[in-house]
Amino acid sequence: MDRTDRLDRLAQGVRQIWANPAVFPFVFAFSVGLAVVLLTGGNPFFAYQEMFVGAVTGSGLRNTLDQAVPIIGMALAVSAAFRAGVINLGGEGQMVLGGLAGALVAIYMPGPGALVVPLAMAAGMVTGMLWAMLPALGQTRLRLPILITSLLLNYVARSITGYLVRFPFLDDSVTLTSTEKIPEAARIPKMPLFGGVSLSLVLVLLLGGLAWLVYKRTVVGYETQMAGLNGSFARYGGIGVERQTVGVMAVAGAVGGLIGTHLIIGSAYRFIDGELVVSGLAWTGLLVSLLAANRPGFILAAGLLFAGLQIGGQSMQRNAGVSWRLAQVLQAVVIVAVASRLALGRRRRKGRRSAEAEIEPAHVGEV
Amino acid sequence: MFDQLFDGALVDSVMRAMIPILLAALGGMICDRAGVFQISLEGMMLAGAFAAVAGSYLAAASGLGVLFAVVAGAAVSLVLAFGAVSRKGDPIVLGIAVNLLMLGMTGFLLPQIFGVRGVFAHPRIDGLDRFAIPGLSDIPLLGPALFDNTIIAYLSLPLTAALWVFLFRTPMGLRLRGVGERPQAAESLGVSPTVYKYWAVVSSGVLAGLAGAQLALGNVVQFAENMSSGRGWIAVVAVMLGRAHPVGVLGASLLFAFSEGLGFRLQGNGLPVQITDALPFAVTLIALIAARKRFARLLDLTTAG
Repeated sequence: MDRTDRLDRLAQGVRQIWANPAVFPFVFAFSVGLAVVLLTGGNPFFAYQEMFVGAVTGSGLRNTLDQAVPIIGMALAVSAAFRAGVINLGGEGQMVLGGLAGALVAIYMPGPGALVVPLAMAAGMVTGMLWAMLPALGQTRLRLPILITSLLLNYVARSITGYLVRFPFLDDSVTLTSTEKIPEAARIPKMPLFGGVSLSLVLVLLLGGLAWLVYKRTVVGYETQMAGLNGSFARYGGIGVERQTVGVMAVAGAVGGLIGTHLIIGSAYRFIDGELVVSGLAWTGLLVSLLAANRPGFILAAGLLFAGLQIGGQSMQRNAGVSWRLAQVLQAVVIVAVASRLALGRRRRKGRRSAEAEIEPAHVGEV
Repeated sequence: MFDQLFDGALVDSVMRAMIPILLAALGGMICDRAGVFQISLEGMMLAGAFAAVAGSYLAAASGLGVLFAVVAGAAVSLVLAFGAVSRKGDPIVLGIAVNLLMLGMTGFLLPQIFGVRGVFAHPRIDGLDRFAIPGLSDIPLLGPALFDNTIIAYLSLPLTAALWVFLFRTPMGLRLRGVGERPQAAESLGVSPTVYKYWAVVSSGVLAGLAGAQLALGNVVQFAENMSSGRGWIAVVAVMLGRAHPVGVLGASLLFAFSEGLGFRLQGNGLPVQITDALPFAVTLIALIAARKRFARLLDLTTAG
């Protein structure tokens, strides 16, 4: 093989990667980010370098894994609904209310940690589930679209938690608007891994495995997927789509509430007003589920990736002076690119149908 | 307590609350008529608010701010237009992504350009002036709110009427509705659905941008992170409740604005902010329940089957 031949093969390889519909959205997003950083007077190459280094080296790896817990958890929560064609945009409210309920149990319930922690989690799950019931029953009983009601309820949830934290449960010994600190005994412990990753990581991995099992290997999983792909067909086939809507919303709400509880008793150790909302974790999880087309395995990978972007972004902000919000921009642009089916080399598409179907974005409705 | 509540100041806060919602909802209405499901109003409004403050700061003139806002709204709208119309992507996924993109982008640009976090207020930012119409602005109760207002506020009510005329009394409006209701029939008559859908989406970007300008240069003179705070979503509901009809959209916007304005006033009477903030969303949800028979179409659109 002579030199030009090898170069040709190399060029072809690069083209293939470039034209790969799973890779191109990332290339596109990072190009957009590069342009934005450049235009605002930053050095994008240094920024990206800091982002990468910050995500995987030093305490970065631990922080990335810690950040991945809520992102993957919220993605799994939303995937349960999305794959059944139920557009639950209320993850934020379910997470925030569940988090407060879990925090209150952890703070005010006496007893050993082995009892209080599971009870706090259960309280978070029940609260998230009940909150998710409102839009679910709204759709099945009153025919109000979940898309709208679940989203509007996020704002109501913000107000409810804001009120509860500011008045009845305020810790007035600190200047923060926050509940009291979670007692040491009632916290989710850290594992001796990379210097202390929350034990919740195991929980989330188990949840991912469970989701895979249910989605792929059970009748319920099959029926919900059918309903998501074609509701009238599923109904014709004798699947109770209404009951199913309530069921998947219950699961989504419960997992959302569980993750909210983890964020307080496993990470922040205080419920500070507005903190869970500002973190945007519920929405990052939603984007992850869309990117992964609601498949648990891909959710783990994509969740880890998005967590790395955010943690790396924080280190980029410290060392390169470029706001970490660039990570949010990159994440959203990736989804825009995937949803718009952006890819180079469109003429290749016919032969690449299967590869393309692999990254087909989750269609959350038959629009 | 209540006799002090209904006064000129309440009318004024209702009007303030209504203009951004109405403008964005009119944009959503045009998209709905053209058959494009538009839920990125929130993001475009936020982009408009940021661009308005940036433009006004740069030139120390509100005019440039408004221009920036309109251009920004239109530019952002092209993302949805390209993705949903040209590439046939899922408008719900695209809408959510655009909203989050703008939340991230404005949060990114704020420290990068202006070196501040959270809120950017500066004496150089020129707010929209209020012009009083002599005589009319002296009408008790309604006068100051309706006839001593910003140029965007003056524009919004005639615009509602103009859009009614456009949609129902002009050939172009007929074609736009045709594209939304019977795209194939429209196409067979030589009307390009793509062109009409693009114009509809870009119009909604312009209107949501204007809404953002009113928010950031009219209601207050500053940019705060996530300052649209759900108004774009309330506008989406206003389109649904108003059945994508200008009069209905105006009525729904007024209802939501009334609850926001009332909440604002009740704050002054000692009710906690957390409760009054929830009021417009609670009223929106109650209005949805009251008018629930109207949403069959959206429900079919957003639930599989």
